[in-house]
Amino acid sequence: MAAPDKNEALEITAIRRADGESRTLAASLPRLVLEARRIAANVIHGLHGRRRAGAGENFWQYRRFVSGEPAARVDWRRSARDDHLYGREQEWEASHTVWIWPDRSPSMAFASREARDSKLERGLIVAFALAELLVAGGERVGIPGLMNPTASRAVIDKMAQAMLHDDATRASLPPSFVPSALAEIVVLSDFWSPMPEIRAMLAGLSSSGAHGTLIQVVDPAEETFPYSGRVEFVEPEGGETITAGRAESWMNDYVARVALHRDEIRAETNRLDWLFSTHTTSRSAAELLLFLHGGMMVSKGGTRSTVKVGRSA
Amino acid sequence: MMGLPLTFAQPLLLLGLLSLPVLWWLLRVMPPRPRRIEFPPTRLLFEIAPKEETPSRTPWWLTLIRLAAAALLIIAAAGPIWNPATGLGASNAPAVILLDDGWSSAASWETRIKAADELIAKADNDRRGVALVALSETARDITLLPAGTARVALRQISPKPWSVERVETLPAIERFLKSTGDAEIAWLTDGTDTGRGSEFLEGLSKTIGERSLTIFEGAPAPLALAAAENAAAKMTVKVLRPAGRASVGTVRAVDAKGSPIGEARFVFTGSDRETEASFDLPVELRNDIARLEIAGERSAGAVQLLDKRWRRRAVGVVSGATSDTAQPLLAANFYLARALSPFADVRLGDRGAPQQAIAQFLDQKLPMIVMADVGTLSPEIRERLNTWIEQGGVLVRFAGPRLAQADDDMVPVKLRRGGRTLGGSLTWEKPQHMSAFAGDGPFAGLAVPKDITVSRQVLAEPDAALATKTWALLEDGTPLVTGERRAKGVVALFHVGADMRWSDLPMSGSFVEMLRRIVDMSGYTSTPGAGAAGEGAVEMVAPLRTLDGFGAFGPPPSTAKPMRADYRDRATPEHPPGLYGPAEGPIAVNTLAAADRLAALDTSALRAQRATYTNAEPRDLRGILLASSLALFLIDAVIVALLGAGLAALLRRWRAAPASLALALVFALTTVSPSQVRADAASDDFAMRAVSQTRLAYVVTGNADVDAIVKSGMAGLTLFLAQRTALEAGDPVGVDPARDELAFFPLIYWPVMPGAAKPSQDTLNRIDAYMKQGGTVLFDTRDAVEAPPGENGATQTPGMLTLRNILSSLDVPELEPVPREHVLTKTFYLLRDFPGRYTTGQTWVETLPRSDDDEAASRPAHGGDGVSPIIITSNDLVGAWALRPDGQPMLPVSGGDMRQREFAFRAGVNIVMYTLTGNYKADQVHAPALIERLGQ
Repeated sequence: MAAPDKNEALEITAIRRADGESRTLAASLPRLVLEARRIAANVIHGLHGRRRAGAGENFWQYRRFVSGEPAARVDWRRSARDDHLYGREQEWEASHTVWIWPDRSPSMAFASREARDSKLERGLIVAFALAELLVAGGERVGIPGLMNPTASRAVIDKMAQAMLHDDATRASLPPSFVPSALAEIVVLSDFWSPMPEIRAMLAGLSSSGAHGTLIQVVDPAEETFPYSGRVEFVEPEGGETITAGRAESWMNDYVARVALHRDEIRAETNRLDWLFSTHTTSRSAAELLLFLHGGMMVSKGGTRSTVKVGRSA
Repeated sequence: MMGLPLTFAQPLLLLGLLSLPVLWWLLRVMPPRPRRIEFPPTRLLFEIAPKEETPSRTPWWLTLIRLAAAALLIIAAAGPIWNPATGLGASNAPAVILLDDGWSSAASWETRIKAADELIAKADNDRRGVALVALSETARDITLLPAGTARVALRQISPKPWSVERVETLPAIERFLKSTGDAEIAWLTDGTDTGRGSEFLEGLSKTIGERSLTIFEGAPAPLALAAAENAAAKMTVKVLRPAGRASVGTVRAVDAKGSPIGEARFVFTGSDRETEASFDLPVELRNDIARLEIAGERSAGAVQLLDKRWRRRAVGVVSGATSDTAQPLLAANFYLARALSPFADVRLGDRGAPQQAIAQFLDQKLPMIVMADVGTLSPEIRERLNTWIEQGGVLVRFAGPRLAQADDDMVPVKLRRGGRTLGGSLTWEKPQHMSAFAGDGPFAGLAVPKDITVSRQVLAEPDAALATKTWALLEDGTPLVTGERRAKGVVALFHVGADMRWSDLPMSGSFVEMLRRIVDMSGYTSTPGAGAAGEGAVEMVAPLRTLDGFGAFGPPPSTAKPMRADYRDRATPEHPPGLYGPAEGPIAVNTLAAADRLAALDTSALRAQRATYTNAEPRDLRGILLASSLALFLIDAVIVALLGAGLAALLRRWRAAPASLALALVFALTTVSPSQVRADAASDDFAMRAVSQTRLAYVVTGNADVDAIVKSGMAGLTLFLAQRTALEAGDPVGVDPARDELAFFPLIYWPVMPGAAKPSQDTLNRIDAYMKQGGTVLFDTRDAVEAPPGENGATQTPGMLTLRNILSSLDVPELEPVPREHVLTKTFYLLRDFPGRYTTGQTWVETLPRSDDDEAASRPAHGGDGVSPIIITSNDLVGAWALRPDGQPMLPVSGGDMRQREFAFRAGVNIVMYTLTGNYKADQVHAPALIERLGQ
């Protein structure tokens, strides 16, 4: 029982620290307003000004009254100025849901001596900050299997609470669920799971046509393999071990293997038109957040979204 | 083994050492335990084809440790024995035992006797004859004794209380060896060279020739006392030793009856051979010390006997001129005190009239009184002085204008009234030099100084007795010093003054010597010692009690002879250490003379076997070897554990472990110094900032609100000063009196927080020093508004109570509310009071010296001699000065009168100007008079 307890304690500290850091991080970025990725006339909700008339709170334009409309729509003040009747139109506002899934499995608690944060902490910081930015921009944020989408301003607190009270086993990959087709998914994990599992996960999440981003959070030691001598490597989740007599001679093979693993994931995401990127904990968290920020904006207005619309339609 | 006192019980087992190479090979092959590292992408590693698994080698130094442990184990099994019983060989030649028996051998006498006893016992077993040679016995011929008789003879030898010169016994040894032929020699030395040690060693090696010699060494080094001195403030004694490590000890002082008077510690640092112990006792107690001894050291050398020569006389000095103190270099007292203080305790009669001082000295029964230019004495005092002289008092007088005019009989010769001047404008004669000291006077034997000139003197009426009374002469034959014995006492007169006006004698070294001779004549003299006037032949004194070799008193041995009373040298067989002369005033002879030093005897040049006293018994080394082998195995285990746990990464990075350890050490050392350097740099920074500009300072209280107000208040005042006055001060500085140097600031504003803790004594000392050195602290309790109503309410506020607590440990001068004419009210603005945010508080400063004369009363401004070191207010000055960044006041003032804030600023300006200019404004009232005078 000692090991799970230790992991739990690690996670709690990580959440506490991430809570504070993510707020400062979020405060440093501009408001992240997602553009509606796909515009469907029948989905009208949320708070986004879409620069067209629809249900909303802000005035958009006056238009001529069309007979047949309820008389209550007439804007008498405007209509009194000339001989026509006018109605007020509000600007259409819409929001959509972003699912953020930070990996909290034991393997994420790894931090080599060179790294300041563990992978878990970095993942949580970015997840919280992203959630804060999105909510500030009017989106709804949820954690699959843990927290329903919410637009509450206290989203960081809610996420932290949900994680602290989560007593399920920590899986390495997000649970399979069916997001709505308009949802955006962000998975922050180290993706050291075997390729078939990753493929299955991607297939499940993208089946409904949702778009997503995979971020591989890795420790610098996992990139460079700075070990030498006789070393016994232990897998923190499964507990499998392998002993290297001269670890320094394994380095080149390891680096090549990691590159291959990433290529496989990248091939899969490209096929689905998802985004894949890696992040090393020795780099700044803001860098990753900026990337996510930019990635979500770009992927909306650009050509890919139109392709996407076509494909999933 | 060869050269080493080491043998093995089972030498064959040492062959086991041959197995070490095999062990080495085995150890090289066995790899260390791998490090265990949690690594998330381990699954990827499974897919990497396993490489050739050559285990990393065990580091060579680890192998070395293991091999060393194994080797120790094997050696231990062979049963090594250190120091197999040595001593005499197995021949049949007679054994000659040389025994050191000077005082230096007393401390370790028992071990020496025990070793000799063992040697005799061994000789007894081998049925060999024994010749026992105590090296102090130079005269006796050496004879060969049967072992049983030798043992009895050994018991009768005791250490001698004087320094034995071994070389003097050499002829006897040589004679004996010549007659005996073959012999085996053992020398039981104490390892101390008393002067001619090397001579003895040379002689011994020549005498012995090819005979075998065993030297027993390693006795604890003896300690000795020498050169006790009763100095001005304390009694000091040198502690000597031939060699040794750092150690401490105690010297005990005992009076004539044997009761303890005091103890003093001495410390040998490093391999010092000489240190000092000092007794810091009142002079009366010090004069009672009759014997100094090193606690726990039993030898005559560790005892220092003191007689009257070590007593300090108290000398009363009276000067006829009373108001000398302002210019000490012109005062006779100064020269006398400086000349006497090396060997006497000077009591200055500078309080009250000379007559009172003399009466007081007579009451104190001082043995000697010096009167410098004291004129007429009252009949009663004269009467008492006469009685005192007859009972043994020594009166020394110096001439001077007053003596020249007076007429009394307290001088040794009849004086011509008036004195004479030499080398003045109305005389033809040149200043005189000194020509001689009278051969039978107390100064006999002193070198005559040629550079002394006498320009004035009082002259004696020539009569028949003058020549016998003259102790020192000038070149023209007139006496410079005269003296005579009256009953038991002495009256002496220097015909010049004790200051520099009449001659430069008081400035010379001869003056000190002359006074020392006279002091020697005074007091405590049952028989006048050498140098007393009129004592020609030197008396012989018989031994009274002598010390034995262990430093205990006993009756004098038959060999002790009477000695001259002025014997000053070290003890000899004829004059063993002890007390000589009459019981009431004995003369002490010590084992060591003042200049004696101890040296270690270096026997390394001598070809001989060595043995030690302490390790004379054989020692089994198995325990030590097994223990160290076990320790090495433990170290090995720890290293292996560390290697497994990740230290290896560090070690491997540096490749060689010793290098990494050395680097770690160097790193640890260097990381200490930079922080030191940084701290120094920080304090230098502070100092540079503080002195580059005049700055006001305030004490940081630690309360953020108050500190913010104080900071902006001081900034406001600085701004005001720059606008209205010539003072453009730098930004105010917050200081922490416990840490920062305060001396840079003319004024420190100290907001007193009610209930603040009292600063540490160290801090208070710094503040005290700051105030004493001319700084001013402005204490502001900032709570005049909280004063309880009624009498003295203003001094009962919580802040005032706290302040009182802080000041209770400071040396604060007497305080008073700022008087109307105080210079503080006039330094820049003309002010009546010093308002801050409140107006009701009182401002306190150091009380001005009261002067009642009319001139002072009419002056419009008063300043003390310096600036008041302390100003206390409760008006919250800083609250009134505090400005917000936009220039608006931060806090309201109590009155609502707009002028109050202006006056608060003016009060601040006046205080700052006061601290900077001092009493300059008070002096300025004289400006009209000065200008008027200049105009003419």
